[in-house]
Formats: sequence, structure tokens, C-alpha cells
Amino acid sequence: MTGTSLRTYLITRLALVVPMVLILLTSVFLLMRVAPGNPIQAALGGHVPPAQVKVITHRLGFDKPLYTQYGDYLWGIMRGHFGTSITDNRPLSQIITQNGAATLELTVFAMVIAIGVGVFVGLVAGRFRDTGLDVFGRLFGIVIYAMPVFFLGLMAQLVFGVWLGWLPISDQASPITQALLPTHTNILFVDAIWDRNWAALWDVTRHLILPALTLGLVTAGVFIRLVRINVIRTLRDDYIEAARARGITERRVVYTHAFKNALVPVITIVGLNFALLLGGVVLTEETFNWPGIGHELVLYLGNRDYTAVQGIIVVFALVVVVVSLLVDLLNAYVDPRIRY
Amino acid sequence: MAKARLRWLLAGSAVAAIAVAAALAATAYGGGKAGNNKVIIDGTTGTVVNIDPANEYDYDSFTVDLPIFQGLYGFPTGAKLKPVLATGCSHTKNLKTWTCHLRHNVKFSNGDPMTSADVKYSFDRVQKIKGDQGIWTLLTYLQSTTTNGPYTVVFHLTNPDSIWPYILSTNAGYVVDKNTFPANSILANTDTSHMIGTGPYKLTKFTAGQQAVLTPNSNYWGAKPKNGGIIIDYYSKSSTMKLDLQQGNIDMAFQTFTPTEIASMKKSKALKVHSAPGVNIRYLVFNVKRPPFNNLHVRKAIAYLMPRQTIAKRVWHSTVKPLYSMIPAGLPGASQAYKTLYGAKPNLAKAKAEMKKAHVKKPLPITLWYTPTHYGDVSADEYIEMQRALNASKLFKVTLKSAEWAQYSGALGKVYGAFQLGWFPDYPDGDDYTVSFYQPKSFYNNDYDNSKMNKLIAKERASTGTARLKNLKAMQLLAAKTLPTIPYWQGDMIAVGRSNVSGIPSTLDATYYMRFWLLTKS
Repeated sequence: MTGTSLRTYLITRLALVVPMVLILLTSVFLLMRVAPGNPIQAALGGHVPPAQVKVITHRLGFDKPLYTQYGDYLWGIMRGHFGTSITDNRPLSQIITQNGAATLELTVFAMVIAIGVGVFVGLVAGRFRDTGLDVFGRLFGIVIYAMPVFFLGLMAQLVFGVWLGWLPISDQASPITQALLPTHTNILFVDAIWDRNWAALWDVTRHLILPALTLGLVTAGVFIRLVRINVIRTLRDDYIEAARARGITERRVVYTHAFKNALVPVITIVGLNFALLLGGVVLTEETFNWPGIGHELVLYLGNRDYTAVQGIIVVFALVVVVVSLLVDLLNAYVDPRIRY
Repeated sequence: MAKARLRWLLAGSAVAAIAVAAALAATAYGGGKAGNNKVIIDGTTGTVVNIDPANEYDYDSFTVDLPIFQGLYGFPTGAKLKPVLATGCSHTKNLKTWTCHLRHNVKFSNGDPMTSADVKYSFDRVQKIKGDQGIWTLLTYLQSTTTNGPYTVVFHLTNPDSIWPYILSTNAGYVVDKNTFPANSILANTDTSHMIGTGPYKLTKFTAGQQAVLTPNSNYWGAKPKNGGIIIDYYSKSSTMKLDLQQGNIDMAFQTFTPTEIASMKKSKALKVHSAPGVNIRYLVFNVKRPPFNNLHVRKAIAYLMPRQTIAKRVWHSTVKPLYSMIPAGLPGASQAYKTLYGAKPNLAKAKAEMKKAHVKKPLPITLWYTPTHYGDVSADEYIEMQRALNASKLFKVTLKSAEWAQYSGALGKVYGAFQLGWFPDYPDGDDYTVSFYQPKSFYNNDYDNSKMNKLIAKERASTGTARLKNLKAMQLLAAKTLPTIPYWQGDMIAVGRSNVSGIPSTLDATYYMRFWLLTKS
């Protein structure tokens, strides 16, 4: 047996999270300060006399030397104090739980769609290689992968929302549902199930379809190509030939042996694509007025809201790290041959 | 074999797709639509900063505050100032002491009675907290607030202030429940159980960036709202809001569409675009000490060339009107000083004469700054028109520069020589359109300090009635002569509603207030 054990690997990975997040935090901290613009002035809108601006700047510690601000910021993060946004006085914890929950809802559904569509189309294209289905699958994969997420979103809004009138084009739920549904988890889909409010669940689901489909399809492009290649390669493997030679039915050979093994590399790609998905979520949320954390990030970036942007980036980084770790664990579980 | 499986696969996929489409089509325009009883859903592209009146100083937050809180004075109907929680106020001859008598039997939405102690608490609180947004600056002249029994409040001012009742109508003067609002800190927007006022609605839910839910206040002392409640839905883009309005997912939208979107919605049968003269203005500011704008003749030449009509028609599709004074037409004391001095339309000959007096090279290179992130993408079109008009005169060679609001707001007159700004009033009176701009060390740092103007400001604040209006007119004329700013448009107040929403025209006036309680939905 070569390589280290899974436990050692995980400990190493966890230890690496600290310098990784630190580098990211430092980069964001410096970039925000280098960018032109004054968050205090932007937030106040010009009503406050200059003397009071100075008082506020001092209170928030933005008049301190950069290294002191950096130290204070890190110390706050270590104690779990992410601060309060300068623009609208919202605690970062609230942004993370409230808007983060909306993003989680969207990304989970988008990932389900990405995997579902990607694996299905990839398997079909690989299985029926060089047929019309294969050509369609490949074309579909390339087109949706190449299409900018906001363009796909706008097209989806136009077709399914405006022309056909089938689906809502914005928000997490209709205003009435949002107003009446009690908040338990901030994930409306879960809250509706929690309250057994099936009308609300249907409303929330309908609102989820277009944004999740848009984000999911763009991500699915990668999966389609990967799964197709793996299926083709697996179907040529010796053990598949051996299975056929032993008289196992073609159906069992394909579905039980070939497809299962062809899907192992997909798990790794799911992890890598999660970061891509978070990038896409910012644009998707903007297009669909989805009240997620990416939507807030755009708002706060425009206002140079140091506190909010830094907090949100940390959350994004931690989510990517955690998902990568989970994917590694899943990989090891699915394929016992994997060593680290 | 494989072909048969393929056929099954295709057939299965087709059946599934048709089933999903049918289900979606069947439920389209179903429960999620804004057809719910008498609750009106309003869309907006605004952002709420603070709902607590002690730190609310922006229009979008104000729109949420207006149905919840009330002041001693206000604009309950129309643009005329009227007593609301007070029955009236009287002042001493020197305008430094104002005594207000409160309306009896007024209750907060939680049932607490409203007394003079609540009024004193509210004013003391604003002054003590000194919130970041700066609403407390409206109370600069307030020295102290005292009570004289449960229904009399006395305001002691440091300076004569003829416009004090107007200040009482702003949210710096909104009365809050002393039992629910903390004395030294701002209440969180989501703390709806403590966000208690005397207005026709109470706030029952607030989710930042998503929605504010207002339900009728059962303890309201005045006429009950004509609808079953209001939901304000927040959008990041007006294009999405427009689509939702067209689809019927929201009932109306108030703030803010682009001129193109408004023009497009005017053609829709399901929608009605309501407009009335508004008091929102745009103007060009000069730093009067920075070359070449420190030369009055250069500023005058620009004033002669300002293409107001072209901007209003071509850029704004006539949803704004040319503006010839910082005080918009419709407000008491408004004059057309710039029209008197520089004409209604551009005058090249006069501009040339001014440039001759300026003794500068021609075309004179100048830079104009604007900020599309704060005033919309249409700002770029506005400034392109300005550039075109000035360059066509061959007197100027204009460079346009834009910056994000975060950068722009910190720079203004400290960095820029000529720059775009807009104004929405704290209270709909000429005073708010003059003192704020012409006093020394104004918020935009344009280094304007004119002794004649300073005297007029003091006189205006210490005068009442026609004498005050006369002073306001004198200020406008002096401003037009000395040109610290060039006003160029005043915007209409525009609201778009679906055909089943009525009452919108009754709230469109110079106050720019959206009085939701007047609206009904059939």
C-alpha cells in the first residue's frame, strides 16, 4: 500500500486551510483598500458634515495605520466577529445566515440539476456514441458551457417567463408567500416543508426552477463532456470485454459495470466545479433578483463596504474548502483504490 | 436492441417534458400572483438603510417610515404643510421658541398613548444618538425640548428659525414610542416588535434587500387605510421589476424606471403610468476656486449653452422638465432666475461674448464629472448631450469622466472642478434648495462663500410669510449671477400601476410622498 492514510491526509488538508484563508483574507483586505473610493462617504450620501465623517471614520478604525486595521480585522475574525456592514448597518452574521441560506438553496438545486443533466446526457451520448443523440449531447454540452450565465438567464426569463408565462422570473418566492411563511431556516424550500405549507412549497419550487436551471445547465456542460469520455473509455476496458465474454447481458454490462465506474471521476469534478458555481451564482442572483449572498456582494463591492465584502469572501472561501474536503472523502469512500 | 431502447428513452423524455410543461402552464398566474385580497405589492429598486427615524436620511428608507411614523407636522394630503400629531404650534416674536399643542387620544400601534413625554424623548434621542446618516443635522438649531403637561411641547432654538414646522415634518421630528425605542442606540430594521409609531400602518416583517411588510394599524387615530396592507418588494434591476409588473407579480412600482422603460410601459394596456410634477432635481456644480471654473465668465458661458431642452426630450423622453433655478417650479418662492439671465434656450452669441471677457484660449479644455452608479446609466447620455452642445459651440473642448459613487462622493468639490449632483428634499420648501447649497462649507465642497448670500440666508431664516419668499427669490437671483451651480432638470414623480390599482394620482404631488394608505386595489 502506497501513500498516506486518509486521516493524515485530512489533517494536512485542514492545516492548509489556515494559510489559504489567510492569504485570501490579506488579498481582499489589501485590494479593497487600494481600490479608489471611501466607504464612509458612500454610505452617508453627503449629508453629514466633514467633522462628523471624521468621527465615524475614527469610530470604525479606518483612520488607523493599515497594519493595525489588518491586525484588528484578523483578531475579530478569530473571535468570530465579522462586524457590521457600513452601508446598511447589517451584522455580517445576519447576511451570512439570511442571504447565505438563499444562496445555499440555489446552489444545491443548481448542482442537482448540473449533475442530473450532465450525467444523463453524458451517459446517453457516450453509450450511443456517434449517433444523433451523441451529436446532440456534445453540441448541447458545448453550447451551454460556452454561454454566459446571465445571457442564458435572460433568455430563460424571456421564453418561460414573458412569452410562455409559465414561470416567475424573479425572487425566491412570491411576495405574499415570503410575507406569510414563518422563518425557521431562511431556506424557503425547507421552511415550507417544515410548515407543511404545500402551496408555499409549490410557489418556492416554481421560483427556483429558472435560476437553478440556468446556473445548473452552465455547470452541466463540463459534466456532459467528462461523463461521455469516461463512458466511451470504460466501455473499451478489458473488464467490460471480459464481462461480455462471460455472457453477461449488455444491459448489465453497461448499467452495472461501465456506468458506475465512469462516474467516479465526476465526483472530483463536482468539487472543482463548486467554486465555478459560486462564481456563477453572483451573476445568476443578479439576473433573477435572487436575494443571495452573491447579490449582496455586488451591492457591497459597489459601495466599497470593506467589512461586508471581506466577510462574504471569507464565507465563499470556507465553503469551497469544506466542499473540496467532502469531495475527497466521498472519493475515498466510492473508490477504495484511492490513496493520498 | 439498442435502437429500441433509444426509442423508449426518447419517448420517456418527451412524455416527462410535456408533463412538466403542462403542470407549469396549469399553475401559471396561480397562487404566486399579486392577486391576494386587498394587499398591494409595490416594487422598488431602492435600498433601505435604517428604518429607525433617528438614523433615516435617504428616500428609500423614508418611503418605509412614512406609513409607520408621524411628526407634529406633515403633508397628509397634498403639498401644503399641516399639523398632524399637533393641533398647532405658535412661536415667540424672535422665532426662537416654538410651543406645540398635541392632538389628544392618539395611540401608538401597540396601544400605548402618545404624550408630550414621547415627543421630548424622540427629539432628545435623535440629538443624543447623532446617527451616521446625519438626520440630526436638521436639528442643529434645537437647544432643548421641554414639556408643559401631557399635551404641550416647547422647542427652544439657538437661532431664529421660520421653517421650524417644516423640520417637524421630517423624520428628525417623527414621534416614537418611548417604551419601545432604546434611548442611546439605533433599533435594528428587523426588530419589528419595537418599531412602533402612530402611523396608519405597522411594520410586521422586514427582510433586508427583499421585502417590507406593512399591515394596517388597528389603533390608528385617523382614517383607516383603504387597502389591506402593503408589501414593498425590493429589486436590484428595474428591468426585472418591469417584467414582474407586466406579468402581474406586483401591483405597482414607484422607484425607479429608466426613461426607456417608462416609454415602453406607456404603451401597455394592462399598466397605467401616472406622473405629476416632482421636486427631484439635477444640477451641475462648479468649484468656484478651481481653474478654469474660478472664472465667472467661463461659468456664464456654460450657463448660456446648457442644453436643457435636448436633455429633457432626447435623454429623458420628457419625463423631466428644464429647470431654471435650484428651487423647482411648484414650490413656494420658486423663480426662474436662470431663464431671466441666460434665456430659456442656448444662446451661442452670448456665450461667445462671455468667453471673450474670460480671456482664455478657445476651445477651452474642461472636464465634466458624473456618476452613473448613483444617478443611473442615463447620466452618461445626459453628459454626452452636454458635451455635444459645448463642443459644438467651439468654445469648449469637453472631456467626460465618470466614477463610482463610492469614489465620487468622497471627491466632489475637493477633487473635481465641475460635477453632476442631484437633490431630493428633506422637506418640500425653497429653504431646503438654497441654504443647503449656498451656505459656506456646503456638503459638496465647492468653496462658494458669498457674503451677500450669507446675509440673505440669515434673513430668510429669520423672516416669515411674503418677506421670506422675497428673500428666497433674492437668493436665487444672486445664485444665478454668481453661478456656484447650474440647475438643468426637475423630474416628474412617476408611479406605474396595474389597471386595478387606483388612488395613485392622489398621492403624486410636490412632496414626493407615496401615501400608500390612499391606494386601493380592486
